[in-house]
Amino acid sequence: MQRHLILEDGSTFVGEGFGAPATTFGEIVFQTAMTGYQESITNPIYDGQMIVFAMPVVGADGIHAEAYESVKPTIRGMVVHDLAEISTNRQRRMSLDRFLKQNNIPGLCQVDTRQLIRHLRESGPQKATIVDYVDDHARDQLAATVLTKQQVQNTATPKAYANPGRGYHIVVIDFGLKHGILRMLGDYDSNVSVLPYTTSVEEVLTLDPDGIILSSGPGNPNSLPESVFTLIRVLQTKAPMLGIGLGHELFAMANGATLNPLVAEYHGMNHPIQEIISQEIFYAMQGRGYVVDDQTVDRKKMFVTHRDLVDQSIQGLRHRDYPAFSVQFFPDGAPGPIEPNVIFADFFETVADYVEQYN
Amino acid sequence: MANKVVLDSASLQRALTRITYEILERNKGGQGLVLVGIKTRGEYLAHRIANRLEQLEKETIPVMAIDVTNYRDDVLAHGDHLGLDEKDSINIVDKNIVLVDDVLFTGRTIRAALDALIHIGRPKSISLAVLVDRGHRELPIRADFVGKNIPTAQNEKIQVSVEEIDGKDAVEIIH
Amino acid sequence: MSNSTTKSKLNKVLFLGAGPNDFGIQGENDAAIYQVLPELHGHGYQVFVVDDNPYSVALESVAATTFWEPLTVTNIKKIIKDHQIDAVAPLFGGHRALRLWNQILNEWHADDGQIPRTLGLNPAVLRESADITQLNQLLIDAGLPVIQSQVAKSQTEVNELMRSLSLPLVVRANNPVQSNTRQIVERLDDLEQVVDEVKSQSLLDEVLISKAINGMKEVSLEVLRDYRGNCLQVGASEDMDPIGIHTADSLSVSPVLTIQDRFMEQMRSYAFQVADLLQLQGALHLQFAVSEITGKIYIIKIAPYIDQMATRMALVTGYPMLLVAMYLSLGQALEDIELPHNFHPKTAMMEPMMDHIAVKLPVFPFGDLQASGVEVDRNLSSIQKSVGSTIGFGRTFIEALEKAIRSAHFNNRGFSPTYMEHISDDELIQQLIHPQDNRVLLFIEAIRRGYEVDELTELSHIDAFYFYQLKHLIALEQMVEAKIDDPNILQQAKQAGLSDGLIARFWHSDFQSIRRLARQNDIQPTYKALEPSAGEFPENAHQYYATFETEDESTPLGKDSILVVGSGAFRLGESASGGYATTIVLSELRRLQYHTVAMNNNSSDATLLPHISDKQYLEPLEISDVMAVVDKEQPQAIMVPGNRKKLIKVLEELGQRVLILPREKHLGSGPENHESEFSLNFFYDGVEVYPLIVGQHRAGEMRLLNQALDIKEDLNNLSLPSPGLYQIIWRADVNEWVHQIEIPDLSHDTWLRSVSYGQVAYLSKAMGIHFLRLIVRAMLDELTPRDWEMLQMISKNPPHVHQWMAKALTNYQLHLQPSGPIDTTRFEMGVRVVNDEQ
Repeated sequence: MQRHLILEDGSTFVGEGFGAPATTFGEIVFQTAMTGYQESITNPIYDGQMIVFAMPVVGADGIHAEAYESVKPTIRGMVVHDLAEISTNRQRRMSLDRFLKQNNIPGLCQVDTRQLIRHLRESGPQKATIVDYVDDHARDQLAATVLTKQQVQNTATPKAYANPGRGYHIVVIDFGLKHGILRMLGDYDSNVSVLPYTTSVEEVLTLDPDGIILSSGPGNPNSLPESVFTLIRVLQTKAPMLGIGLGHELFAMANGATLNPLVAEYHGMNHPIQEIISQEIFYAMQGRGYVVDDQTVDRKKMFVTHRDLVDQSIQGLRHRDYPAFSVQFFPDGAPGPIEPNVIFADFFETVADYVEQYN
Repeated sequence: MANKVVLDSASLQRALTRITYEILERNKGGQGLVLVGIKTRGEYLAHRIANRLEQLEKETIPVMAIDVTNYRDDVLAHGDHLGLDEKDSINIVDKNIVLVDDVLFTGRTIRAALDALIHIGRPKSISLAVLVDRGHRELPIRADFVGKNIPTAQNEKIQVSVEEIDGKDAVEIIH
Repeated sequence: MSNSTTKSKLNKVLFLGAGPNDFGIQGENDAAIYQVLPELHGHGYQVFVVDDNPYSVALESVAATTFWEPLTVTNIKKIIKDHQIDAVAPLFGGHRALRLWNQILNEWHADDGQIPRTLGLNPAVLRESADITQLNQLLIDAGLPVIQSQVAKSQTEVNELMRSLSLPLVVRANNPVQSNTRQIVERLDDLEQVVDEVKSQSLLDEVLISKAINGMKEVSLEVLRDYRGNCLQVGASEDMDPIGIHTADSLSVSPVLTIQDRFMEQMRSYAFQVADLLQLQGALHLQFAVSEITGKIYIIKIAPYIDQMATRMALVTGYPMLLVAMYLSLGQALEDIELPHNFHPKTAMMEPMMDHIAVKLPVFPFGDLQASGVEVDRNLSSIQKSVGSTIGFGRTFIEALEKAIRSAHFNNRGFSPTYMEHISDDELIQQLIHPQDNRVLLFIEAIRRGYEVDELTELSHIDAFYFYQLKHLIALEQMVEAKIDDPNILQQAKQAGLSDGLIARFWHSDFQSIRRLARQNDIQPTYKALEPSAGEFPENAHQYYATFETEDESTPLGKDSILVVGSGAFRLGESASGGYATTIVLSELRRLQYHTVAMNNNSSDATLLPHISDKQYLEPLEISDVMAVVDKEQPQAIMVPGNRKKLIKVLEELGQRVLILPREKHLGSGPENHESEFSLNFFYDGVEVYPLIVGQHRAGEMRLLNQALDIKEDLNNLSLPSPGLYQIIWRADVNEWVHQIEIPDLSHDTWLRSVSYGQVAYLSKAMGIHFLRLIVRAMLDELTPRDWEMLQMISKNPPHVHQWMAKALTNYQLHLQPSGPIDTTRFEMGVRVVNDEQ
């Protein structure tokens, strides 16, 4: 059935509805990665957002058990050009359409997504809605919509849980993590404890972690309580630490930097990232709406370790005094290049050193 | 029988990167750092670490190379030649020296290096960075920065190759 | 790992061409070299090219010193010595040039002088790359998943190997004469014969045997690497047909649609590792066998040189890959590469992202050969049978597929909704299991007859996605058939890429009526820009494709532009000479400072190169497609190849100024073995005729006779349609090469025709006159007094020509198994130069 996408600035796009026939509101962003739609729509960083895909054909490979980045997706909508409809009764593959229906997420296809993206890249983040009809009612609702600031609360775990292993004990502070992080920790057979971001310093230290991960997550880092920054400042002195995505942003803020919002959120894997120390260049999936303000990084306390060579944005930081570092991009991939998996290798080497020294 | 590669090129590079960060962490920056590479391969590794330091700190870190074969206590011939030309020697007084070697084994080479350095001047501190620690120490010597710990049998041999002279970067166990 | 390069200043660079076209070499290397020459020249290098292909455009580049001679060790050594060449770029010439350069290095002696530097690969690795076994071993030692091949020198050795291997097997020639020739053996009975055949293809008289991986998905990746070890992926493509059918004979799609991210990322990682192992400075094409079900990935082919995949990826992504590869081979770092102004400053370093679908469709010669009475084995296998390809661009797979089909069969021969109606059910199943060309049409028919997607997937090992797509197409076609003249359906049909002609057939109408209906209902193509950032950045785009969406990004070029219509896919007979013609035409128009718009759909053709026209449309070349571009661009003139009679007629009827590039609709058949065909070649400038030279054509070779032209008739009485090169031909029972022939009474037993593009190319090179440029000038009234002087002089005093054109040594038997001899004039694959001394 014909449905519509209405943007905050008034522009409308017509298409064909798929997934759930729900009417939803959210912030609209676009992505240029050509693979990994399932990983993307289940990535909690998109909580409260609608994703427009530049890739014109989406869904050709259905939904697979191995490609979830969270158990339940919380995006508000998906806009594509061509939905590759595959059967719903194949054993191994559920169709994307059915998957969205089951999760009550609306999709819109047959949209001129290239036009939409060219528009969004200039206009910046806006509210949007997927509706049946374009009318005053719909526009009013959209205008009245207040975008959620509760994304982390919405996606992070409220209670601690474990992912046991025989290796090093890694504590993950959960801000809405993606499964790729746990998978990578699992590759090293880590004994993982995932804690809510509201956890206290004492709770963490009682667990005697060998290493700490500040997970990725959705939303505006400024909407997190001061307790998070205190937690980070203390923990970074106690054990090796790795911050990812939102975790990187929080790590930066905890150490005195501030963040700037981007004109348009960047979601893609085509930007070259340079590791300053080795001058090596690699590619990684990024999904960010904010970037650390270069001027506010205290060079006496922090190194800038990585830069995006397209927009010169800071992509990695490291503390001078402690084995604590962070990356803006996703080192686990899923979707995205696996070259940056070495970030985890580095983390575990650091953990090994640390454990060696204190045992 | 094929050699076992324990560090490939990429891992070797990353090990040096890690060591670099650790040096900066310990030293609280690049102040007063002097890298002393133990010939032959330690010298190249020292230069590589110096390059990394330069990328981060934007200042040139002095690198020196020393040849300690004549200083080892298990070598009978004993000259007092450090394998250094006059012009190569750097003022190490009051500096934070980081000795760099490829493999730490018995510790005798390091002992010799320490002797040699103290012979030249009085540094503020000396720390030790090695690419590989293979155990079997015969002296109370310990590395401050280790690329990789590789436990080995006494009769095994560790071979470190560096691009600059061996055409590749690798650490292998030879049987 | 980084390897340092000695950055000594290079000045003189020699490019080795790829030689005559053949199965697997369709002119893409020549186009690639042609693209980089002016760029290098502009940076102060002296560039040289050597090739023996008369159809080469690179050999006519004004930016280079060119050598048209056989590609032999001796010839090339001489060029290097005479011109003190600093560096040789073998990788742009594909695997042939790579092998040749390797041979030259092996045979280099002290008295040959200083060895030039090899650009792109260091000589030690080059040596390994020329030998598949060594190359594979290098990868296996590094832990990469390569299918291990075993060498066998005789049937006995093969039988021994059979003890440890099981069927099905792949048999390949070790160090093959031409591109890797693979044959699959599924039954033990076939093994001996296959080994014999394949062994004959090997320069070492050896075969390589390994486990066959039929049925797995075939995926290709194209990546770049610089001397520092930084790698970038340009693109990837998947074959609809699984392993077992040569990739050139498969329908290929970019970007990859049916494979999950984690497999793509793993393959990308392998590709970077291989590039590192080879210490490559340039482009690498890696081919994989993938099974998502078992999770297995194997590397099946390694091509560290420019090939069809490279030029296709360059075209479909809009990423200037050839230029970047060239800079990389000169030792530049990816991050330091500066590109021409129309690109976003960071383009070289950003991985291309596609927001469109590109379908490559192979073109087969079966229909053409059948029409001439020669039957060939139409069963597709791992030996290539296609002779060319086209690319369709769209925003959905179906749209891109439809456009690719239209591009491949623009004269509608072979494609029709009822094409397969009459084959029996048994035939259908046979062809499902033993694939032939036109597979897509077969699948459509199968679905129409009620075959289920699961059945088709099982029989063909093709991903179900493709069948679901075809099901949608059929449903749409059925709707179109039912709702005649319905504008809504017309909109949907156009969006799915159906051509006006096809819709007309459904509605028993003609394409003009369809166009009218579309106009009346504002159903117009919207042109999207093709650029490598998928909309993230504003790029100064100059390449467009048509789709039917909302936003049209193409604004008319204006400035009294000239639209040049290309030749589409290369076919037997003309092969790449079609591309040669339009490329030279565009180059001349540029030189004359006209603004030009080019239209074509073939990535092996230099016609679409961005530096020879201002704007390019990547479109089929049917009348509707051309008309749509004409409507958009409003050019002052349209240059059309003369064989497009219908198109020319329509354009003229619409009042357009058409410049006809003379071209016969069909290539005449060549002389029989006992006779010669003589041609009196002349140039017509629109007013006068200028006789040029006499040619003698015997089966397989053409020579020019160095004789005075004693013509009795006044040729100015001939009525010729447009400026161009023409010839009057006559046959005679002359069974040997002559040095001169009496020109007979031309009014009896002679035929007049335009000179074929191929012969134009040959004449241009042999006589040292750029005929196509003259033709263009003549058409636009821009001939200069010097031109006329020269033409008159030649009439009186033809230059002494000592280079002949001979057919290339194409192994038709291996590729096509024809039922009878193939007329190599009408169905030539490629040609080469032969020097007088030989």
